[in-house]
Amino acid sequence: MNDSAIVLTLAAAVAAGTPLALAALGELLTERAGVLNLGVEGMMLLGAVTAFLVGDATADPWLGLVTGMLTGGALAAVHAFLSVTMRANQIVAGLALVIFGTGLSTFLGQPVEGRPLTARITTAAVPVLADIPVAGRILFQQDLVVYATWALVLAATFYLTRTRAGLSLRAVGESPATADAMGVRVAATRYAHTIAGGLLAGAGGAYLILARVPSWSQAATTNGVGWIALALVVFSSWRPLRLLAGAYLFGAALRANFALQAAGVRGIPAEVLALLPYLLTIAVMIGLSFSDLRRRAGAPAALGLPYVRDER
Amino acid sequence: MTALRAVHLQRRPRVRPWQLVAVPVASIAAGLAVGAVFLTLTGHDPTMVYPAMLSAAFTTWFGFTDTLASATPLIGTGLAAAVAFRFGLYNIGAEGQLYAGAIAASGVALALGEAVPAPAAVTALLLAGVAGGMLWIAVPAAARAWLGTSEIITTLLLNYVALYWMRYLIFGSTSFWRDPTSTNFPQGKPIPASAELAELGLTRVHLGLGVAVLAAVLVTLVLNRTRLGFHLRVYGDSEAAASYAGINVRRLVLAVLLASGALAGLAGAGEIGGRAHALDPQGLALGLGYAGIIVAALARYNPLAVVLVAVLLGGVRNAGTALQSLPGGRVPIAISTMLEGAILLFTLGGELFIRYRLRFGRGQGAATAEDLESVPVASPAEPTTR
Repeated sequence: MNDSAIVLTLAAAVAAGTPLALAALGELLTERAGVLNLGVEGMMLLGAVTAFLVGDATADPWLGLVTGMLTGGALAAVHAFLSVTMRANQIVAGLALVIFGTGLSTFLGQPVEGRPLTARITTAAVPVLADIPVAGRILFQQDLVVYATWALVLAATFYLTRTRAGLSLRAVGESPATADAMGVRVAATRYAHTIAGGLLAGAGGAYLILARVPSWSQAATTNGVGWIALALVVFSSWRPLRLLAGAYLFGAALRANFALQAAGVRGIPAEVLALLPYLLTIAVMIGLSFSDLRRRAGAPAALGLPYVRDER
Repeated sequence: MTALRAVHLQRRPRVRPWQLVAVPVASIAAGLAVGAVFLTLTGHDPTMVYPAMLSAAFTTWFGFTDTLASATPLIGTGLAAAVAFRFGLYNIGAEGQLYAGAIAASGVALALGEAVPAPAAVTALLLAGVAGGMLWIAVPAAARAWLGTSEIITTLLLNYVALYWMRYLIFGSTSFWRDPTSTNFPQGKPIPASAELAELGLTRVHLGLGVAVLAAVLVTLVLNRTRLGFHLRVYGDSEAAASYAGINVRRLVLAVLLASGALAGLAGAGEIGGRAHALDPQGLALGLGYAGIIVAALARYNPLAVVLVAVLLGGVRNAGTALQSLPGGRVPIAISTMLEGAILLFTLGGELFIRYRLRFGRGQGAATAEDLESVPVASPAEPTTR
């Protein structure tokens, strides 16, 4: 029972959904502050390559994870500077981040392209809970990052709904002028949450290389996960718990090839299986817009707009 | 913070032409400086690499003609981005639309065969590319126009779909596009010679360059001299104003996005007819669509400036390839992509200095009424409210 195809697929979906959940949670915090950062893919790639380089050099995957987070955060700081201080077009700035992050990660990763990583984040089964039939195999025979993601999602929910800082954050995203009048420091809030988003995107990228993908390859490491994370934020209506559920759903889609093979389906070309998650995401995005109510529900009102106190 | 507070930003009453040139030039210089830091950190000598890039890209005849050939698809994708971004419609799927255009163009050229005379075959190839690009953006465009679905993520994700589809046609199946004689390493079937775009002498410059420049002129004329262009400019300034004026906004959104897809598809057809002469998944997947966004942003979404910037970036890309053969330590080819990204980041930051001027000392940062009356040339780089 514990090793049935369905259970293994669900366990794989949780693992595959974790980098998505981390990156999307980061983007959720950024967008709640009213900053749109399309550069998730770039931050994840840079996080992944730096995590690889440090993990490879020190043989310590956790040092790699921290490095990945920091470089993701550094790239996000560039976006915060452009969006908040320089009032640049956030959409184009995010795209620039993707292009720069892709180029830089390829550049840094070229000497190690294709090299397998030996320092890896390994499974850490939770005592007792791991022995629960089915659920234990799916949820509690994972690694520490999976568990940490749950803690982060819960913490984010608490932060957004139950703390003063979280409410200030939401005010900044909804109406920065009001927040400003209330004495909330709009620019500082936006900087902090954009960088926090970068730290989490970097963590997501680092986790991909440290736990999921066996060797560094620029083309195969993120493969659009950063963009799916952006769609996931919309799907979640900017709510962390829904986001986690969505991440596992998309994680399952990313593992669709395994699920189909397990179900005995043969003969679907690898390329067709590979493009399914993207088609699914597009279908979800369009499906969500059919319901006008849900499309706008939760979207911060000031998303993507620079705030200038004098120009109202 | 106190030191920062002493600096105020004030909107410029008007933009002087030299500023429009100075900011991109400074951005490129700053981008190169960042590139130099990473080159040094990875053990390369920028004072060796940059001169080598310059000569590979611009100061030799073969280098320059290769640069023009590299610039040709960038003009197409740059126009694709410029046309859409200018009006707050963010088609970031030029990459996939280029692939779709390439698939359609090579398919039509192969289907027509040798019998069709060259002018007709070339025309069919180019039109097929346009149709392929439009088809690839049709769903995101329709979803944006009727349902308000953000085109950003839908167009982007279709890039991956197009990439895998193209790979499937050549590597994953024995499709019509695949050369049946290539068994060990699958390749695209060569298109008939009649559908190939004429080349200039012994260089790699081909007819596609002329087509791309013509497209830039055409886009300029449509935007500046037609009723559609006028409606678009109203829409670009304010969607609400366009609605109140009785302009069919839905049709404009469709027209802009379809035109954007068509231009990217045209670039794909040009690559098939002028360069690859077969559907070549490896040779097409160079990030030409993404680079088009940089071209458009540097050109400040002006179609004619797109041509010049495309030549500049074409040079950077061409040099990246040429650096592979540089003696003494291989410089990773990704240096080009990294430089492109860095240049774009600085361009975006520099945009502030076009729109605002810095004022030092304490005082009111607020723009005076006079300033606001003559707000600078509507900056397309400013986000529009949806």
